Parts: sequence; C-alpha cells; structure tokens
Amino acid sequence: METKYSVIGKPTGNVDGMAKTTGEGKYTFDMYLPNMLYGKHVRSPYPHAKIISIDASEALKLPGVKAVITGKDVPGGKWGLWRRFRELCDQIALADDKVRFIGEPVAAVAATTKDIAAKAVELVKVEYEILPGVFDPLEAIKDDAPLIHEDFENNINATRHIEWGNVDEGFKQADYVREDKFTLFPQAVVSMEVHNSLASYDKGTGKLTIWSSTQSPYYLQLGLADALKMREGDIRVIKPHVGGGYGGKNSTMPDATTAALLSMKTGRPVKVVFNREEEFTTTEHRMGLHLAIKIGLKKDGTILARECKIITDGGAYTGLGATALYLAGIFQTFPYKIPNWRYDAFRTYTNKVWATSVRGFGAVPTVYAAEVQLDRAAKEMGIDPLAIRRKNLMEPGYEAPGQYKVESCGIVPCVDKMAERIKEKWPKLEKDEGIGYAGFAYMSGGIFNWIDTPYAYSGARVQVNIDGSVDLFTQAADIGQGHNTVAVMICAEELGIGIEDIRLHPGDTATAPVDLGAWGSRETLMNGNAIKMAAGQVKQKLVDLARAKLGENIAYDLVCREKRIYLELRPERGYSYYEMVEAAIKLNDGEPLIGTGHYTPHNKGMISPAYGMGIMAMKAKVDRETGLVEAKDVLIVHDCGQVINPLGARGQVEGSVHMGLGYALTEEMPNDNGLVLNPSINDYKIIRQRDMPQIELLDVPTYDPSGPFGAKEAAEATISPTAPALANAVFDACGAEFDSNCLKPERVLKAIREAEKNQKNKAKAKK
Amino acid sequence: MADWYKCPVCRKLSLEHQDLARHYLGQTDKKHKDWLKSKNLSYSHLITMQVTEFGNKGYDALAKVLEKEAAVVQVDVK
Ligand SMILES: [Zn+2]
Repeated sequence: METKYSVIGKPTGNVDGMAKTTGEGKYTFDMYLPNMLYGKHVRSPYPHAKIISIDASEALKLPGVKAVITGKDVPGGKWGLWRRFRELCDQIALADDKVRFIGEPVAAVAATTKDIAAKAVELVKVEYEILPGVFDPLEAIKDDAPLIHEDFENNINATRHIEWGNVDEGFKQADYVREDKFTLFPQAVVSMEVHNSLASYDKGTGKLTIWSSTQSPYYLQLGLADALKMREGDIRVIKPHVGGGYGGKNSTMPDATTAALLSMKTGRPVKVVFNREEEFTTTEHRMGLHLAIKIGLKKDGTILARECKIITDGGAYTGLGATALYLAGIFQTFPYKIPNWRYDAFRTYTNKVWATSVRGFGAVPTVYAAEVQLDRAAKEMGIDPLAIRRKNLMEPGYEAPGQYKVESCGIVPCVDKMAERIKEKWPKLEKDEGIGYAGFAYMSGGIFNWIDTPYAYSGARVQVNIDGSVDLFTQAADIGQGHNTVAVMICAEELGIGIEDIRLHPGDTATAPVDLGAWGSRETLMNGNAIKMAAGQVKQKLVDLARAKLGENIAYDLVCREKRIYLELRPERGYSYYEMVEAAIKLNDGEPLIGTGHYTPHNKGMISPAYGMGIMAMKAKVDRETGLVEAKDVLIVHDCGQVINPLGARGQVEGSVHMGLGYALTEEMPNDNGLVLNPSINDYKIIRQRDMPQIELLDVPTYDPSGPFGAKEAAEATISPTAPALANAVFDACGAEFDSNCLKPERVLKAIREAEKNQKNKAKAKK
Repeated sequence: MADWYKCPVCRKLSLEHQDLARHYLGQTDKKHKDWLKSKNLSYSHLITMQVTEFGNKGYDALAKVLEKEAAVVQVDVK
C-alpha cells in the first residue's frame, strides 16, 4: 500500500530481535556481578498470623551465610502505587507484626550460593500465632470477619460508584430486561521471566543501583525510595530486556526491596530470583470477583440501561487493584452507547496474594459478563447477535458524561467489515459448531495520576551527532511488547532517517527522562508523542537551516524524508540530512543537536486520550460427549489508528488472544484457605501453540488527533473479547450458558445438560 | 445558598442524601462503622445489599437514616 510515510506502517522486525533470539541480549536473570550474593525469602506458611518471634541464629552459623534480615531491618515504611492516597500504600518489604497471605516474606537471607541460601531459609525459626483468615469477598465484608488491615473496616479496600443518565427510568422504559450473575476466576500472569532483581549498594556514596525485571523503572524507583527511606535520585534503576510483565511487574515487589536491603546490609551485590512456585503463590494476578449485571433494551435491540455490580477478591494488598476496579466498570461500557448506566464496585482485602493490573487491566471479567449477557438477550429477543451490536455502536465524538470522550472511532466500519467478511469466511457451519461475537475497546494510556507524579507522563531526549547518528533516551519500557522498535520507528519517521541510524538507550533512570512505564497500552501514544516532539525539535533546526541555505520562498514547505531535507513540491531542491546535521552542529559552536519532548494529556476526560476498538468473531466446536471446546478460528476487525509497526501489532494481537483463550478455557487458580493449589506450569494450564486457532486480523484505519502520526492503542483490547466470544460461540452451538470463565470440559458438560433440560421444559410448556 | 447535608462522622457535605450514603459506604474507618452500629445498622448488610442486588438498595436504606440524622448546612456555592 502506498503511504506518505517511509518508516511507520511497514512491518518491521524487532530492533532487539536478533539479540534476544541469539541469547546475546541480557535480561536481569542473566546478570552477575563480581562478589555477588544470593538472596532468598523466608515465607509464611499461614494466610493470617501474628509474628511472635524470629530466630536467625542457626542460619547465621551456616558457612556462607552473610546476612539475615527481618522487618526490623527495613528503614523505610509502606509503599504503593496509589501515592495520592497514602492509606492505600500498604505494601511492606518484610512482614513485621503479622502476615496476610501464604508466602508473604517475613525474613530474607544472603549467602554465597543459591543452595546455601535455600538451606539457611530452612534454619530460620519463626514463631506465629495463627489468626482466623478470610478468603472470599462476600465473607470479608461481614461485620465479624477478621480484619486484615487496621483502619479498613469490613476489609473494604476501595469502592467505586459511577452513574449517568437515569438508570431506573431506563429500565422502566425497556421492553426487555434481564439479570445475570457471574463469578469470574482470577488469572495468573506467568511471564517467561520471573520477578528478579540485582542490587548493588555503594556504602561510600550511599547510592544504590538496581537492575530489575520491571514494567516501570520510575515506579520501582519510587517504591524503593519509600521502602528504603532514600531519595529517588540516589536510586538508579536499570531495566535490561524484560521477559514479559502483563501488568504483574508494575508494583515494587520483594525481589527488588530485598535485594536492595541485603546489599545495603552486606555491602555486596545481591541478586534475588523468584522460582516458578513463588511466581504463582506470591506475585500479583488478575482479580477474581462476583458480578451481577442487568440490561434493559427496546424491542429493536437498542440498549436503554445497564447496571453492573462487582465485589472483587483483592487479596492482601492494593497494587493497582483500585485502578482495575475503575477500569472494570468503564471498559464494560465500550464500544456501545449506553445512555443510562450504573456501576458499583467494592474491592475487598482477603488473605490471599493480591490482584492488580493484568493485560486488559480490569476490563476482562466485566466485558465477559456484558458480552455474554448481550448474546443471551439477543437470542431471547430474536435478534442476530451481530445486528444487536451494530445497533448500539459509539460514533466519533461520543461522550460518556463526566468520564470520557471518544475522538477517532472506527467501530461502525469495523462491524460492517466483519459482517461482510463473515459471509465469505464461514458460509456454513458444521454440526456442533457455533460463532460468537464480542465488541472491544481499550485505552491508549491512562490519564489518572494516582502515582502523583510531578513529572510529565512521558519524556524523551534526542541527540544527533556529527555523523548523523542519533542517540534516543527514554525510560519507556519495552517488556517484550516491542516498544523499543516502535520508539525508533517514530523517531526515524520524524527525522526522515532509517531505524539503523538510531541507538536507543531505554529504561535507565540515571540517563533518560521519566516515563511512567508500560501499562494500559500507553507507550505508543504517550512515549511516541514525547519522542516525536524531541525529534521534531531537532528536525526544526535542520529545516530552518536548509530553508536559509536554499533561500526559497518562505511559504514553501520543507520535508525530512529518505535522509534528505527538501522542498516538498520540488524534491530535487534540497540537501542531504547528513550535510545539514554537520552544518548545524558547526554553526552551533560544536554542540550536538539536542531535542527534548515531554507529553502529558490535557483536556481528554478522565480515562485516556484515545481508544482502540473493534469486534471479534470466534468459531468454536463443542464435543457434546466430552464437553471439550475447540477454538477453531478467530476473525478480528480492529481500529487502532495509524499502525506504527504492523508486525508488532499482529504479534500482540496473537498474544492477547492466547491469554484470553487461557482465561476462556483452561486457566484458573483454585485456592484452599489461601493456598494456591496449582502453582506450577504443569498444573496451571496455559494454552499451547497447537491449541491456538487461526487468527485473521483486518484493520480499519483511522487517525487519532491525540496520537503520534494518528496512532493509538493496538492489540491489548483484543484480550477482553476472546473469552466472551468463545462462550458465545458455545452458546450458539448448543445453547449452553456459563456463569463463569474457564470452560473446562466438566463445566461444559454440565451446562450442556442444563441447556438440554431447559429446552425440553420449554417445549413441554409450549405443548 | 444551598442546603448541604453533612456526614454525621466527618466533614463530607453532599447535596443529596443518597450521595452522602455513597460517601458513607465508601469509608473504611472505625468511626464511620461505629456510628452505623450506634444506629443499629450494619456496614456489611448495607454493602451486601448494594453490591449483590440491583438498584441502589444499600444507599437508599442508609439515605433514609441520613435524612433524619445528617445536619443541614447552608453553603454559598457561588
Ligand atoms: Zn463521612
């Protein structure tokens, strides 16, 4: 396709793909420093207990053990990501007075080898007084439930009530009203790279350097500053390559705080690496919740009102759970016009590891309920499921009162394209096959500033050297999603050069401007804008110089493209990029060309500057004998603005569908009184490559005025529709209804039997 | 000048009793809970009603009590 762009919009391999695939690229996991010690946690076997005493004397006698620390050795206080509301900053480095979940760290050892550290952990004696625990949100809010945190009566951690229009009136006007209840299970994160950090404290200067597998070097810097009672600026966070985050690496976790504390105590570098069991049992996951949802529609399928109530199983701490609570409501309303809407959400503390942001950040469980309910309503009303969606779609300029405004919005053409393509793609279904639909939308970074940063949301600095090479500095985080590639593509496009001209220096708090990190699909739009601004400043200098040298009419426009700076309408008149760079630096008393860019969204509502959106269709087959569901084929039509890297976007869509299918079919975390029962890759079932359906991805191009070159969110949105599209396909195939995610064969069989029973009863009633 | 209703426990002012009830059930401190107890109401019961049943039942039940209990404050909202 012919485009006006030279770099963006072209499928581009990851700039660090070669390093990663050859093993040259270094993750924190791969790093060692001379004289390094290994840290390991002593963890609580109880979900709720007072710590009476900790005796480390035997552990300290073991040769090779260099230090043991407990909560008493932590100089700082609590931390968290909701820094605007300090009471929600509830995380602690090592439990001091009591433990709140099984696996909570109570002490840590540093030793010369991993084996010695593991042995030493066994020798630390901790005496507990067991307290009653609470494990379900509806139990947690009871007046006589044990309190998990002082000052949080009834274990209520956060609440949300949002309402617009006149909901009760909407239901009154409706021709059709239905109510459904769901329980949605939590989902583990399962990044390929576990949480791990390597800390090196310089006792001479009092400064700390830490390499960590994090989604946000800046958030980690803030968390460590609180935990260690240090100035942010005295902590340097370096983020090497990161093997996945998915929301689970936004919070400062004990791998980082403990590595730092042990390094401060011993004066030696200390590395803490979680094992897979620790990942499953002690790191953050997607929230489980109870949900009640009600919808009211006109006869023709127009939605008049919706009401949704959730109470979530928050676990022992806040993380980004309070934000997830908000987004769970907001993204349930997309991509539809809902004139009257009420949302109540309560997040409770429970004695489990806590829930936070996870890919789709809040939206996944609530979108599931809304999209599944919409199909049930459509079926009872005799309306085609795609038609009922088409009837209610947002349009450009749509506003949800007091919450958000949608600027670019290609959802109508997406659904129309879907309707056309479906006819060609799946003209006929086989026996026991069904098609399910689900609409979706997601933000391009969040506007909310719970972290209370005084800095711009994203920053970048561009330095152009005498030979035309470019150094690009930013804290923006590539965590495997491909942002490093997007960053250099945007920089290259703006300067009219190639990505090979750019050296990126990402994720180092000591050298690069602040960026809030990789969450909520924010990097392309927010960091992309900062990079474009920084590169744009340098570009302006080059253009001004070329204009002066050309002596052309001031009204003529110059462009930087293909390493030249020239008159747009007379391309033969211009200079080479390299020539102009050299001239500009010489003219500037030898100073390299520097540009800085800082982006913070303004006047864009409460949620996000822009929204990617679209529609998914899933074809699935149900085995009525075994209850096995096969996801066969997926069709997605996605409006994600100007795509920067189509190859990267495609990869991210596949990843989102993969994670969404796990949520739909196989992934659950059964819990017995606070104990995760399947803490291994063997027992926690992730979808394998051979079980992945074919995915066809169609694009509806739009231009969002908030994004760099019109770009906005791509791909993360596609996780939310995956599970409901699948459940709706099963519903279409056999009428089976589910009040949860994770359609394991036993659940499917039960639902099929139930559906058959209901059909018989209906037939009888008709007679 | 407008009539505002004051939370019986803290300084929160609302223009509607139902909104004040929403505020109240979002508070997590002991003082708010104890005042409810003194009125023979239960946090747990009100929240369960609000979150497991449709409509604003929990808020409305508390709003009824606040209609009697919340002081009225005149505030200039210019
Ligand atoms: Zn109050």
